[in-house]
Amino acid sequence: MSSISALRDAHIKGLFGDHEGKNESELLRISELKDFLIVQIVKYKKSSITNKDIKIDNLNLNDETLTVHCNSKTRILWNGPNNWLLISINKEVLKEINEKLKETDFAITNLSHSRTIIQIEGKNTKEILKKGCPYNFNELKNNNCLNSVYNGMSVTIDMLEDKPDKIRIFTLRSFGESLYHSITDACLEYGYKNV
Amino acid sequence: MRSQNEFSYGGDATVKRPELNKEVSDKDWDNFVYNRKSLRGKHKELWQHISGCRQWIKVERDTATHEIFKTVKAHEDI
Repeated sequence: MSSISALRDAHIKGLFGDHEGKNESELLRISELKDFLIVQIVKYKKSSITNKDIKIDNLNLNDETLTVHCNSKTRILWNGPNNWLLISINKEVLKEINEKLKETDFAITNLSHSRTIIQIEGKNTKEILKKGCPYNFNELKNNNCLNSVYNGMSVTIDMLEDKPDKIRIFTLRSFGESLYHSITDACLEYGYKNV
Repeated sequence: MRSQNEFSYGGDATVKRPELNKEVSDKDWDNFVYNRKSLRGKHKELWQHISGCRQWIKVERDTATHEIFKTVKAHEDI
């Protein structure tokens, strides 16, 4: 069953902004992603378990700053020390998480229904991020992630590809429409296609 | 380097809680809970990276110039 879109009243397919006379490949592509499994994993301070011993969907919980570990279906984003955000299209991963991560060592929170995900793709993607977020995006590489603010809204940004740039922005579902309007306003000067 | 916008001020880092299970005078408790110096110059402060990794840190900052001299983890001494 497909979940109800967080942006159903805002996201309309089509071409917008300064798109006339431009090839579609030059435009930014904006889409809303849904039906993802989103799980926050936090290891308790007093836990004696070493992260190397744990594998979720064949991926380690690594404590490397701003790093994403991924395979074709699952991405594990570093959110802070001993704190990760798991994003997956494979919902069976939740079962694996509950089996492998003990309640006494980890706090597991399913956030699947409480986030809005906006995906932006195109060569000017970083310019859109720079307009609302204070992070130095020239440093952001493929499979990097960060938590920051975009026009005052707390966001998690995940960089999937860099040729051309492709990123996902996660925010609280209740901020979804505001973030969407902030992003689409920032995209107007480049022209964008909602897909 | 992260922007100051991502951080939230968390108070004076020099304030110490009166020891547990010991008598505390009203004045000492009052000083601990409410009374703070408003220093001009170097000041030790607690900050939280609230829009980032959510960790607490100690910062030595000049309250007049906003210059940051040193940062350490919250449990470490400056």
